[in-house]
Amino acid sequence: MDAIVFKSVSKVFRHRRALFYWRGKERAEPTFALRDICLRVAAGSVAALLGPNGSGKTTLLRLISTMLLPDLGEVLVHCADTRRDPQTVRTLVGFAVAGERSFFPRLTARENLDFFAALDNVHPRVRPERIEILLARTGLLDASDSLVMHFSAGMYQKLAIARALMKRPAVILLDEPTRSLDPVATTDVWDLFRELCADGTTLVIASHNFEEVATVADSVVVLQRGEVKIHERTTGFKVQDVRKLYFRTGRDSSTSDADCLLESCR
Amino acid sequence: MMASSLLDKTVAILRRDLLTSIRYRSAFILVVAGAMLELAAFYYLAKAIGPSFRPEGFDYFSFLVVGTGFYTFLVMGIHSFLQTVQEAQQNGTFEVLMTTATPAPVVLFLSAMSAFSRNIAQMILYLGVGLLWFNRTLPKPNLVASILVFSLSLMIAAAVGMLAAALQVTTQKGSAVLWALGSGAWLLTGTLFPVANLPPPLRLVARLIPITPALDAMRLAVLQRASVLALRQQIATVAAFSLVLLPLSLLVFSSSVRWARQEGTLSNY
Repeated sequence: MDAIVFKSVSKVFRHRRALFYWRGKERAEPTFALRDICLRVAAGSVAALLGPNGSGKTTLLRLISTMLLPDLGEVLVHCADTRRDPQTVRTLVGFAVAGERSFFPRLTARENLDFFAALDNVHPRVRPERIEILLARTGLLDASDSLVMHFSAGMYQKLAIARALMKRPAVILLDEPTRSLDPVATTDVWDLFRELCADGTTLVIASHNFEEVATVADSVVVLQRGEVKIHERTTGFKVQDVRKLYFRTGRDSSTSDADCLLESCR
Repeated sequence: MMASSLLDKTVAILRRDLLTSIRYRSAFILVVAGAMLELAAFYYLAKAIGPSFRPEGFDYFSFLVVGTGFYTFLVMGIHSFLQTVQEAQQNGTFEVLMTTATPAPVVLFLSAMSAFSRNIAQMILYLGVGLLWFNRTLPKPNLVASILVFSLSLMIAAAVGMLAAALQVTTQKGSAVLWALGSGAWLLTGTLFPVANLPPPLRLVARLIPITPALDAMRLAVLQRASVLALRQQIATVAAFSLVLLPLSLLVFSSSVRWARQEGTLSNY
């Protein structure tokens, strides 16, 4: 069974001009973020999204989460349409947003998790125990009663993962989940992902890290300029295989030189 | 949505706002000090004008205290809806809040109600200190009429607040529009002086603002013990406004969030 289905999905961002736009000379042409995407992610599998900056990875995740609605086509999550039945989709999907600014800065980690869990219909009786477990799993137990305004980037990232898992969703979306994590925390998080997958949870991970993809992904989707260039099963792939797969699409002009330099150093 | 779940969410939002408020330690003291200074200014203004000026039969200080106290409460209530969206956009929580299992209007409504409860405490303090300490008169309001007018006014504030929040979602500059409207309403609704003093065209505009009959009814209920029967015209007007505005505002806010999801501007600020 497919957990996520994209049926010919396109997404365009229009940029409205400012009042005196000729002074600022800002871009006014639309951005074609995704073009005619057809994609299926099997339930209980881990799909990794690879691609250069601006290739549409985050837009794809946001479309699944209902933060965005498609301009054309349909996005289905466990058969629920994100446009026609967004409330059902929201109960099924947990999204660990990459940005750090998505928590209430003057609440502690525990208070933040409790607040979002209440809005996600997690029963008050099970919340304290679940929060405790997730704080421990993400390595935040010692900082659980600190105001999140004092958190580092990595701690925010761990908290975002914990928040996404609070409602035990069927689908978890992770946008560069280990970007700011230290190696030990990264390994712990990968272990957690494998456990979730074994329990039947579907994971979609946007990443620039080939090792992460080789370690946790069952399939890889390579996006370029908003189009799916490659979608392959990658079970048993090594880091080198993922790298080869990625560069098989050719070097996109939108790929930043810094990205390529970093990859060649790895 | 089940009642227990709604209660759980309400408690979660109230707790979040209470904890955030007490962690901004100086803000509460500054708000109270500001209100006391405003009362003192009105007291000396009324004294300077003298006792012969009795707008609509009230002493001027009581007229000002009830007018500004209630007006500020309503405007702050409207602003709290807008502020809920604005703060969430700025601290990056808006997108996350809009993708929880709780529908967007419910999140906004509960958040704004939390701010309302803080405003109620401020208004009671303002009216209490103003009428008891500065004026040394103990008002004997008609409680039934006061509560009825207050509840209907609350619905109007919620509806206008929801519209202001929709404006913030679509334009990200809702506060500028609200400031302009607030200043206009301050002039036209009879907060500082009776509406009868305005020129006829402005009096007509004043009648189209739902705050005008609400303020009028509140003054009469609090200061002259006017009954529900005596206030039936004002109450009917306020009720009619709330009946039209509430469903309209819910529709507009839901549409604005949907529009922002389509345009990809949900997190813009």
